[in-house]
Amino acid sequence: MAAVRALLAILLVGIATAAAGQRTEATEASLKAAYLFKFAGYIEWSATDFASPEAPIAIGVVGADEIAAELYRIVAGRSIAGHPVAVKRFAEGEAARGVQMLFVGREASKLAGTVRAAQAQGILVVTDTERGLEMGGAINFVPQGERLGFEVSLDSAEKSGHRISSRMLNVARRVVQKGAS
Amino acid sequence: MFDAIRHSVRGKAILLVLASTVSALALSAVGLVLYDLRAYERQWTTDLTTQAEILARASAPALAFDDRATAAKDLALLKVRPFMLAGALYTRSGELFATYTKPGFDTRFPPRPEAEGYSIQGDQLSLYHRVVEEGEAIGTVYLVAYYRPWSRLVDYLTIIGLVMIASLAVTALLSGWLQSAITMPILEVARVAREVMSQRDYSLRARKTTDDEIGELVDSFNAMLAESGRRAQELRDADQRKDEFLATLAHELRNPLAPLRNALEILRMRDVDPATGEKARQMMQRQLAQMVRLVDDLLDVSRITTGKLAVRREPLVLQAAVNDALETVRPLVETRRHQLDVSMPEEPLMVQGDRTRLAQVFSNLLNNAAKYTEPGGRLWISLEAEGEEAVVRVRDSGIGLDPHALSTIFDMFVQVDRSLERTQAGLGVGLTLAKRLVMLHEGTIAGRSEGGGLGSEFEVRLKLAAAGEEGGGSQGLSASPAAPPRRLRILVADDNVDAATSLADLLVARGHDIRVAHDGAQALFAARGFEPDVAFLDIGMPKVHGYEVARRLREETATRRTLLVALTGWGREDDRQRAKEAGFDRHVVKPPDPAEIDRILDVASSRTATA
Repeated sequence: MAAVRALLAILLVGIATAAAGQRTEATEASLKAAYLFKFAGYIEWSATDFASPEAPIAIGVVGADEIAAELYRIVAGRSIAGHPVAVKRFAEGEAARGVQMLFVGREASKLAGTVRAAQAQGILVVTDTERGLEMGGAINFVPQGERLGFEVSLDSAEKSGHRISSRMLNVARRVVQKGAS
Repeated sequence: MFDAIRHSVRGKAILLVLASTVSALALSAVGLVLYDLRAYERQWTTDLTTQAEILARASAPALAFDDRATAAKDLALLKVRPFMLAGALYTRSGELFATYTKPGFDTRFPPRPEAEGYSIQGDQLSLYHRVVEEGEAIGTVYLVAYYRPWSRLVDYLTIIGLVMIASLAVTALLSGWLQSAITMPILEVARVAREVMSQRDYSLRARKTTDDEIGELVDSFNAMLAESGRRAQELRDADQRKDEFLATLAHELRNPLAPLRNALEILRMRDVDPATGEKARQMMQRQLAQMVRLVDDLLDVSRITTGKLAVRREPLVLQAAVNDALETVRPLVETRRHQLDVSMPEEPLMVQGDRTRLAQVFSNLLNNAAKYTEPGGRLWISLEAEGEEAVVRVRDSGIGLDPHALSTIFDMFVQVDRSLERTQAGLGVGLTLAKRLVMLHEGTIAGRSEGGGLGSEFEVRLKLAAAGEEGGGSQGLSASPAAPPRRLRILVADDNVDAATSLADLLVARGHDIRVAHDGAQALFAARGFEPDVAFLDIGMPKVHGYEVARRLREETATRRTLLVALTGWGREDDRQRAKEAGFDRHVVKPPDPAEIDRILDVASSRTATA
């Protein structure tokens, strides 16, 4: 969060003449990156997800360079449940490997295939598209006025072998229960 | 009220129970309240902190994902706890994020959260608590709750008040129990004590109702009553015996007077034939001897009751004492025509003792045997050695004793048969005296009887002395070798004119030179010119009493060597002692025995002869 605020301050002071749309873009990206990091805190990781106790929680990003950049900044020096947090950027069509969580951005092509492939490898997938959950995403961003909301599919999460904390479900816009699809 | 408490055991008991109950309750209440007021704050803040932590954990996602609606819903859960007045969530940057206010409560939330911790203002406790997720503070919980220790205090006092009322009720019950269990028995004892004092009825008893200490008190009290009653009865019995004794005494002393007067009348007649005159003289002698014996008994009674009866301990031959006793009772035995069998060993049996007193013991036993046996009966007296002891048995064929009488015959003034007693002289002290005398000799005496009409037997056991102890041998009887009769100058002083004159006549008849005085002054005056060899001085004389006369005679050169003889009615040991201190050589109890006077005159003769 401190990084977000620092960034905001730089943006406000340094690029005073920047367009409002640009600012919105930057804010939205950083907000989504912050949410991605927070999601990782509400996933109930198990020891089998990691090679060793010191292994990082790796978050993969596909098709969202700006968010990936924000995420790099956010995770620097932070940890979740004793694990450091790492970010891996994947190219389009590249098979995601060595990550526990994958964010598939809106710009990604072959979106559905990427999601399915990741889910099959036991990776929890976060999407940012209108029918993200139906495609197999466990968490999907939903725009909600000026705020950013999200929805959760327990079914998809389970298929990838993960459980999401009920505390997070409390603030989700929509929760798809198990066995719903 | 206070008077009632001060003067009644029950009031004091109730006061005690009340005071201890109230003070115990009050002290424990103070302790509890102090402890609870301290604990209340700690407990309350802990409780609120827990509440804040739960809220923080629940609303952390809402804060994280910027969901005000969910946060407000989470806060609204506070309404289930009525003492929660308000709650709020602040974001990490300190903006107010969501709020809850108890309906009807008006508050202004601080625009920005303060440092973590609690503060108390009036009856409100407010608290700030950080919301921490993955080690990072992401917001702050703010809670406001009622803080009312005073209402709790009021609750406490109410409860204590109720407990006190209940305790007082229990106290009332307890005091009722105390009344019946403690006070009542004591009051009962007090009541009985009053009744005993007012009615002099020692047969009354306090009723025992409990087996505790009070029960013991009642038992002891009753035992004391029984003891007092027994003592009172004993005193009454003793008093009655004494009264009877006095009546008997008067009777016995009067008995010899009639024959004495008659005999005197006979002697005064001019034409009395010698045989009748001799008979009258013998009668007078007998009656006089009887009177002397009664008075001696009386003196012994006085010695027994004052504890002054004493015996000498000298080696003596027991046969001599028995013979003395036989000598004394022979006239009575002959009068009643009894047959008396005497059995004594040839060799002398030696004991340590007082010959006169032992003779008195045996003569008392023989006297009783003779008295309580119908005329013409049989009497036995035997003396024998049994091991270390000499045993004297006195047996008769008389009226005997029933078992009940056997236990009391040795008591003072007890007489076995009153109807018979009317014809038999005696004061009822003979056996008592005998028993005391035997005890003083460290011996034993016991009575036995087969029953009424079958006779009785008394047995005296005395420790035999070793044969070597025979030293003094017979004393008294063969006093000094009879000196040739000398004419002595004798002064007789007695305020009883008859006593003085008769003694003077007796001495003149023996051929002595006599002066008579009737008071102490006359005696001193007479002595001055007369220089008597012997002076018989009465003690209780007018003007100058006998002790003083003796002292002054001892100071005069002419009478320093005079043999001074005290003549008194007082035969107690301290009287003898006092006479000795005044300077008397001899002490003679009235009436003087003529034989004793002769002995004294013999001594005086030998003294003047050697002088």
